[in-house]
Amino acid sequence: MDYTMEDTQNSAPESLETTKLSGAGQRNETQSVTKRLQAELMQLMMSPSPGISAFPNADGNLLAWTATITGPTETPYEGLTLKLTFDFPNNYPYSPPTVLFKTPIYHPNVDFSGRICLDILKDKWSAVYNVQTVLVSLQSLLGEPNNASPLNAQAAELWDSDQAEFKKHVLSRHRDLDDEE
Amino acid sequence: MINSNPLNVGRRRVFGSVFSPAPFEARSSGRGVDNGNTQAASPFHPDASFSTIRTGSFNSPQPGKSFSSTLDRETWNQAWCLASDFLSLPHAGFAEIYNARGRVENKGKASRWHRPPSQEVAEALSYLACSESSETSSELNGLHELLLWYGGEIRRHFLANMRQGLHELFRREDHEELIRSIVECLQLARRMYLTPVANHVLKFAEAEYREKLMAQLQRVFHTVVSYSLPWSKISPLISVVLAKEALIILGIDTLLNEGDMDANDRDDDAMEVDRRYSVFYDHWRNESPEGRERMMIEGEDNHVTTARERLLMFLQGLQQVGLGGDKTQKVFASVMNIMMTEFIRAAYTGKWEAPSLVPQHLRHWVEDVFARLAVQVLAIIHHPRMADKSTNILNVSFSDVEKWQEMGIARLGTLRTSELFDVIVEWPASTGAIEDLRHFTTYPAARSYLTHNFITVLNQRLLQPGASTLEILQLYIAIIRAFNLMDPKGVILDRIARPIRRYLRDRDDTIKVIVSGLLAEPTSTPNRSALPSTHDTLAELPTELSKAHQLSMENNMSELDWDDMNWMPDPVDAAPDFSKSKGTDVIDSVVSLFDSKETFVKELQTMLSDRLLQNRDNYDQEISVLELLKIRFGESTLQACEVMLRDISDSRRVDASIRRDQGLVKLPTRPRPKRSAHASFPDLHAKILSRFFWPIIPEQEFKIPDEIAALQERYAAGFEALKASRKLTWLNGLGQVLVELKLADREFSAHVTTWQATVIYAFQSDSSSSSSSASEESNTTTERSISSLAEQLSMTPSLVRSACLFWVSKRILAESSSSSDTYHVLESLPTEEEEHSSTTHHAGQQAGQSAGTSTSTGPQDNTTLTTSAADAAAAAEAAAAAAAKESADAAAMEKMNLYWQFIMGMLTNQGAMPLQRIVMMLKIVVPGGFPFSNEELREFLAGMVAKGKVEIVSGGNYKLVH
Repeated sequence: MDYTMEDTQNSAPESLETTKLSGAGQRNETQSVTKRLQAELMQLMMSPSPGISAFPNADGNLLAWTATITGPTETPYEGLTLKLTFDFPNNYPYSPPTVLFKTPIYHPNVDFSGRICLDILKDKWSAVYNVQTVLVSLQSLLGEPNNASPLNAQAAELWDSDQAEFKKHVLSRHRDLDDEE
Repeated sequence: MINSNPLNVGRRRVFGSVFSPAPFEARSSGRGVDNGNTQAASPFHPDASFSTIRTGSFNSPQPGKSFSSTLDRETWNQAWCLASDFLSLPHAGFAEIYNARGRVENKGKASRWHRPPSQEVAEALSYLACSESSETSSELNGLHELLLWYGGEIRRHFLANMRQGLHELFRREDHEELIRSIVECLQLARRMYLTPVANHVLKFAEAEYREKLMAQLQRVFHTVVSYSLPWSKISPLISVVLAKEALIILGIDTLLNEGDMDANDRDDDAMEVDRRYSVFYDHWRNESPEGRERMMIEGEDNHVTTARERLLMFLQGLQQVGLGGDKTQKVFASVMNIMMTEFIRAAYTGKWEAPSLVPQHLRHWVEDVFARLAVQVLAIIHHPRMADKSTNILNVSFSDVEKWQEMGIARLGTLRTSELFDVIVEWPASTGAIEDLRHFTTYPAARSYLTHNFITVLNQRLLQPGASTLEILQLYIAIIRAFNLMDPKGVILDRIARPIRRYLRDRDDTIKVIVSGLLAEPTSTPNRSALPSTHDTLAELPTELSKAHQLSMENNMSELDWDDMNWMPDPVDAAPDFSKSKGTDVIDSVVSLFDSKETFVKELQTMLSDRLLQNRDNYDQEISVLELLKIRFGESTLQACEVMLRDISDSRRVDASIRRDQGLVKLPTRPRPKRSAHASFPDLHAKILSRFFWPIIPEQEFKIPDEIAALQERYAAGFEALKASRKLTWLNGLGQVLVELKLADREFSAHVTTWQATVIYAFQSDSSSSSSSASEESNTTTERSISSLAEQLSMTPSLVRSACLFWVSKRILAESSSSSDTYHVLESLPTEEEEHSSTTHHAGQQAGQSAGTSTSTGPQDNTTLTTSAADAAAAAEAAAAAAAKESADAAAMEKMNLYWQFIMGMLTNQGAMPLQRIVMMLKIVVPGGFPFSNEELREFLAGMVAKGKVEIVSGGNYKLVH
């Protein structure tokens, strides 16, 4: 186990003093975020859910993750690999992470810059949610868009009226990010 | 001669003083010219002018009258000439003075310089004394002027003659004799210069001026001495002499020669004399209080007294020749400064006994010895201007002495600080040193000095890879105890403990050592068989555990006790997050090394499981430790351990009842299993563990003999009948078997592990089918190869090999000569070896089952067989270690699966990555770090490539295959 992470009571007094002087428990908060994210990652690794995956970015900053959702079967997105970014605020999990689709996606609740309209990422956020639950929610959102509050009105309309045309749009918009890398 | 500017100036001054009256006279009369000429020619070799002067008679002019006539002036000139001639100093001189030094008073030589004044000279002197100065403006009379001139003469003579010689002295000798001879020379010179004046001239002066005139000349002498002798050269010489004598007077030399002294004491009867006067701390300690008071005052040793006299004489000389004064005081001060350090070092190093009287002894020494010398010395070398005022006043006030005592205590603190590490190592025999430090650490600077210093030493000597974790912990405990005594507030400890704690946290085996220490028995009992000996565990911990518990009960409330009149705030140097409770209790400090109790409890569980699984009669020690820990940690934290203990005690009961129900008990008393006898079955006992609460126990899987398996089934059935809805899972790798082997010529029985028993059973079972009686008696040797055994028992080959080697070391099996890795039962020992090896085995059986013991306790024999047995034992151990490593490796591979999940997540989301990047990321994100090297990971990934899970794309990047 990593004991150095939360070592406040045994650290050198100087460092503690500076912490005390410079802006409250900034460090402690970051620490607890890191700890929480590490635990979430561990959980994801220990019990992976099918079709979703997430991992911190390679720069070693645990506050930024990349996630991958494989399009669920029997949806227009079947077989597609969709990438997302997670940006965790310093007071996570008390505020939701910022989640964006990186892969261009045609979806009623996602706009063209990848922003997502999902209640649990906004006002319905709760600290009990985690990366895994967010990803599972997004996965289900792909199959059951919330057409009551669309970001992409055309897509919402098309979803209701013409599924085949919708799927065509989805495929034409989709581009695999892997090729760019 | 040095041709420097100041000298030229000086010379000009000298000449000026000699010739000053001459031009004045020359203008007034012919005689004056004459007179002036003689002076100009040679003031030192008087000739014709003598006769002229001698013919004249001096009519003492009335004081107050002015020179009105040339006659008066002439007479005055004559008198001046006569007097100055009398006083003028012969040219050469230093060599004589140098040779004359050392002879007592050396009257003969000195008298050559001191001609008694002739009648004329006396008259001239008295004339001058009465006459006015030739310089009308001056208020001084002629005598004063003469002496002014004489001052110049001294200067001139000294520079011309003495200076050269003295400088040569510096070149010739460079030891401490040098300064003595210099001082003696200067003393002689001073006498030479001043005696004529004192004896013959001064009596003509008015009484009130005499002293002043003398002092004036003296000052001239002092000035010229200090001018011509560079102080930078003199002061080291003085300090050498001072140091040498002070060493003796202050008693430091005896301390340094302690060893020799003791040897001498035993030889002669001087013991009693020594006893009376001694600066030895040990002697002083043993003395009665009244004796202590007197010890350093009375009965001074002879050599001390002489040294003191010698020193005082020397200083007297220095003072006389003008080398005393504040400069020498400074030298003296620096010497005394060194002396104090020296004394403290010599007297108290390694004197750590409790109760410590060192501070008292030191105070006494400062007051009685140190200050006494200072007073005596300072009375002699005082500042010249202070001379008349303070002759009767002590130069050393009592507050000075007190200051010195404080300095002494501070020095003692420095000494103790430098010794502190060794003091701690010696703890608790060194309590006295800690008491000394308590006197020292009264102000923040001292405390920070101590902590800073000690931490440096710790980093050098303790917190490094060379020290075992056990040593560090033992020392840490000693530090806690020692610093508790020194500073009950615990602030210093708090500071010092930080680096230790930080370091200990980085050590892998810290928890293990602590936990095994906690579980160790406070009194090591010899009959413990299965655990490593206790002397290398932290055996203090259990004692501390019970002791500290009582303490914490007592002063639990101290911080909240509002009526505590002795309450003190934390010292200023306390760290902001300082809290007393944390540092002072040994168990707390040790346990709180880790910020989560979980780690500790987990290790405790592992350790506990190891111990509980041993076959022992009672587990009182574990129970009591657990009870005490429960008070500390709370019931809930240690619940798992609690369950483990209950499992063990429950299983005993359950075991008994199952065995009764299943008819596994053959005799009312505990039967001894007889494997060789047919139709009987081995005794099977089981410990029933609640899997959920026990740590994961690494296990070797193998097939146990059918006989045992059958018993297990019956047992399991019995258990399920007793405890419905529960099932037994057998952990075959754990446990012990009492094996009795009957061979053709000997019997063997020992407690061995299950897998060892299984392997040896495999050798038997085959032959048992061929003979109806005890299997081992058949002479048909069965041969088994390791691979066939491994297959038959579904055991890893390395484990089989380890077991075989174990039996080889017991001389039950032997490796076949035909092929390696094949073994057969050694049915009968080679005859000449028979007796010897049976004793060997007997001894081995008693001492325990370690293979190493059995061979080493047996009589050593040079036969090849014994050696091979020893080799086999070593090989068995090595093989066991290898087997253990193999299982550890397997566990590591198990963990690798987890890492594989991480790698998959990484490659899925971040795209293809090179190996280094993967390793780096794993190190960041895997809790507890990633234990494998790049190479190991490359190997692992290569396996995954082979399985088609990943591929290597351009640039050595790994990419998941979708």
